[in-house]
Amino acid sequence: MPLDVQGTFVSQKINKIRWIPEDYVETKHFFTGSWDDEENSIKVWSFEFINEEEDVEYPRQLSEYKVDGDVTDIKFLDKKSIAVSVSSGDVRILEISAYDRQTPLKEVHTWKSLHNFSSEKCSCTALDTLEGDVASIGEDGNVNILNSRRGDITRSIKGADSCSLHAVCFIKLNEVITGNIRGHMKIWDTRSANDKPAAAFLLAGDDLAATCITRHPTQPHIILAGSESGSVAVWDLRMNQFPTSLLNAHAAGVTEMHFHPENPNKLLTSSVSGEIWDWNMDMLTKKGLEEYVPLEDKTTLNVTSLMPALHKAINSLHCDRGRILCGADNEAIYLIKNLKY
Amino acid sequence: MNFSSFSSSPTVATEAQTVKRVKTFALPDKCFEKRIGCAWRRGNQFGIYPRSQNVNKTTSDTASKTDDKILNIRQNIILFTPILRKLVNEANGTFLSVQKLVETSKSSDNQVEFLKLSRQYRSIIRVCIESLQEAAEKETDGLEKNTLLSYITIFYSIECIWHLCEILYIDIIPGEVVLPFLLEWVRFHFPCHEQTAAQLLEACERGSEDHPEYWDTVIGMVVQGRVDVARALLKLHSTADANEFKLVDNSLRSMPVYSVYGGISTGEFTISWKHWQAECRSKLSSGVLAQTPQLELIMRLMTGEYSAFESIRTKYSSWFDMLGGWLLFTAPWARRRELGAAGAACAALAAGAPASRASRLDVAVRALLEGDLHQLIHEIQQISDNGWFASHLTDMLYHCGKLQILDHQTDVTSRLRDSLILEYGSLLMEHKSLWSVGLSYLSFCQPEGPKRAELLLERLPIDTEAKAMRVIAEAKKYGLVDVAQSISAVMGARRLGAGGAAGAGGARGAGGARGAGAALAWGARARCRALCARAAHAALRAYCAERALPAADLLLSAGAALLIDDTLLLLGKYCDFHRLYKNREFRKAAKLLISLITSNIVPEYFWSTLLLDTLPLLETDEPVLSADDTYEIMLCLELRSTCLSAEKADLLRLALARNLARTALIDVDE
Repeated sequence: MPLDVQGTFVSQKINKIRWIPEDYVETKHFFTGSWDDEENSIKVWSFEFINEEEDVEYPRQLSEYKVDGDVTDIKFLDKKSIAVSVSSGDVRILEISAYDRQTPLKEVHTWKSLHNFSSEKCSCTALDTLEGDVASIGEDGNVNILNSRRGDITRSIKGADSCSLHAVCFIKLNEVITGNIRGHMKIWDTRSANDKPAAAFLLAGDDLAATCITRHPTQPHIILAGSESGSVAVWDLRMNQFPTSLLNAHAAGVTEMHFHPENPNKLLTSSVSGEIWDWNMDMLTKKGLEEYVPLEDKTTLNVTSLMPALHKAINSLHCDRGRILCGADNEAIYLIKNLKY
Repeated sequence: MNFSSFSSSPTVATEAQTVKRVKTFALPDKCFEKRIGCAWRRGNQFGIYPRSQNVNKTTSDTASKTDDKILNIRQNIILFTPILRKLVNEANGTFLSVQKLVETSKSSDNQVEFLKLSRQYRSIIRVCIESLQEAAEKETDGLEKNTLLSYITIFYSIECIWHLCEILYIDIIPGEVVLPFLLEWVRFHFPCHEQTAAQLLEACERGSEDHPEYWDTVIGMVVQGRVDVARALLKLHSTADANEFKLVDNSLRSMPVYSVYGGISTGEFTISWKHWQAECRSKLSSGVLAQTPQLELIMRLMTGEYSAFESIRTKYSSWFDMLGGWLLFTAPWARRRELGAAGAACAALAAGAPASRASRLDVAVRALLEGDLHQLIHEIQQISDNGWFASHLTDMLYHCGKLQILDHQTDVTSRLRDSLILEYGSLLMEHKSLWSVGLSYLSFCQPEGPKRAELLLERLPIDTEAKAMRVIAEAKKYGLVDVAQSISAVMGARRLGAGGAAGAGGARGAGGARGAGAALAWGARARCRALCARAAHAALRAYCAERALPAADLLLSAGAALLIDDTLLLLGKYCDFHRLYKNREFRKAAKLLISLITSNIVPEYFWSTLLLDTLPLLETDEPVLSADDTYEIMLCLELRSTCLSAEKADLLRLALARNLARTALIDVDE
């Protein structure tokens, strides 16, 4: 079946969008987090048939949780709870009822102004979760490791970076990689007591920000980072310092990257230039340490565009089997169906 | 606070009432009774504040007691309501498609593509009306509901005018004969009696004339040009077999219908049509129908008798209902540009109807039929949709090449289009979220648009770096590099300020130092020399006070960015010196330090630090500073002896002398 794109305007710029996982059935519910509006919120939506005669499902809003500032990131801790970072510097753990999606989100833990410039507000720019741990970063250059079960701060690296941090990812339970506004990447060992990075390297020589980082689902030594310039860098952490490949991809900043959960050779990226791409990563990730990819193979990377480019930035995407959701700056969300994976 | 509502319904206020458009609002508080001041804010907003003359000495005390208020007044913009924001965003997509279409194919004829996009606009309006209706149904609050209903009215008339405009200017009509399209327009926007007709036909009972609206329905169908339906309805009359009915049915059946592909010329058609009408007229004058006035009325309508149309006018809410029928029975061959007379005739029908002041919609449709686009645009500008309709329609017509507006013999078409788009774009720039939409409108109005965008972008409130980066990306997309740089510079300055404030507050230095790092990162982005210099000075001073070099991670990887400013270069190199020293590479460190000392880029306050840094290098086991280097340091020390305390200076002199003693005769290995 061909790809089917369906857009819905929601009157808010969407910064993050996430399917809510379901155990035995195809999920119909999802979260959105808005940004850059007078009043921002996290909303829960459901795809429903609105007109009986039509065979199309439209999203309907189920509940709304207002936040003070932009929603900068949403990540799952388990099937029903999420960690949310807000531009006011807060980190919140929210829980959605497994039985009735309409009930308002429940606050489990809140760290108020976790990131701050003393008394002034400072944005918490991103977070990542791994097995109940949350790593949050902010414009103040601090890294905080939070425990979502106990609700406390297990480790805080003050001044981890002299600039603002913009991307974070867990490599292992005790290792976190961060990227700052100049594309300076640092790996932190959260067990070590000193505030020195275990390793540091540059994303590219252009001094542009690292906007997102993700790790390969089956080969944890492979790390990908998206840059503000639109390029995607791939590292093999067994020999870091220089990226194994730096691909000039999108025309403007990469906003989010996800490996397809069912097929680790498939990468999905979205960008500020309004593009959403589907990559075939066989070439780049299957290689062993000593094998070099021949140049001609490198250029024949399989990339397909999933949707005609939008006029505004696509900020977020999330996939669930053959269905991809993306949220954009034109205040719309798009559902792409029938993706082959 | 917002107590102005400019969204009056489109029916009020006609031309020559400009004076009445001035509205007066009473300020609600006592403090405004004497003197008030007013200042513009960003966009369509201004603040009103009391200007009292009595000076309060104890300000901190009275500040809490005073009743003075500052009012922030803004225009109520209906496009910023959530439902209409969907319209704004969706229409923006179509607008950009139009611009793209124009850019990609300047020469070729794109009527079909333009028609598609025009339909797209119309479907956007339709979706908007539907969601407004849905919201109005759900709304329980009376006031809110009324507002929603007035929005629905506004967008109904927009849809109606756009459709007519599409028929008359954008659509491709074979042979320019507009009648079938016009009938369709009437049926679509002014459905009357349709349901009754459907009910009657479904029931299919003889003697349907007992239905109270039977005759109205039949006549309505005739006027709408649905001859087949009218005939079917007539057959349901209990005396449908009577002669009179057969006569009318026959006339209706034999009415010639023009079709471009019918194989006959317009002339031929005109002759046969006139013949048919003459026949109708003779039947009418024979008096056969005198017994059944309804049938007679139908026949009179068919002969295009003005008084007949006049007699049924009161049954309809507007004269648009008649337009199709009037044209059908008076001039079915009319071309697109020949509708003025029909419009005038039908509008004159309205004059007889009670309480009929020409509404905005009336005037707009008249103007459209007469082909007076200037008047049309003038009218639709008065619609309270904040210029959405006027700007999009004008842009569409302009790009279709259908718009030609002359002012004293000069063509002002493009100026008109630009001014409408500019106005609309600037309006959107006001909104916290819709600024990017506004920007995309401004960028398509060369050359004034980008200039305006520049001014407006600089004034956008930016609270996070993420937003700053997005604004910069958008600015660069439209080639506004200056704005991008100034935003970067402001972000840097702000971080430097924030760091400094934090430093002064409590943990001195640490805050300032951190601010310096971020400021340098932004300064490098902006390529702003002044900012880089300020940040570098802050970092150096912080180091002098704290003995911990801020932003070391940044400086060691900065590369070419260091060259922006001398002080920054000094800072970077000095940081490198620390790295070398820590790695016990004393020789390299010493060389770097000497080059810094001799470079003449060191600020005055930093000399003491730099000179004292030579001390451990002079005391190393292996000599690392050569005799020549020592002389250089001595020279500097003597020139700037004031910056060190006498004790420290003596200590340094002693170290210098000792190093000179051991290196005077040997060369320090390179």
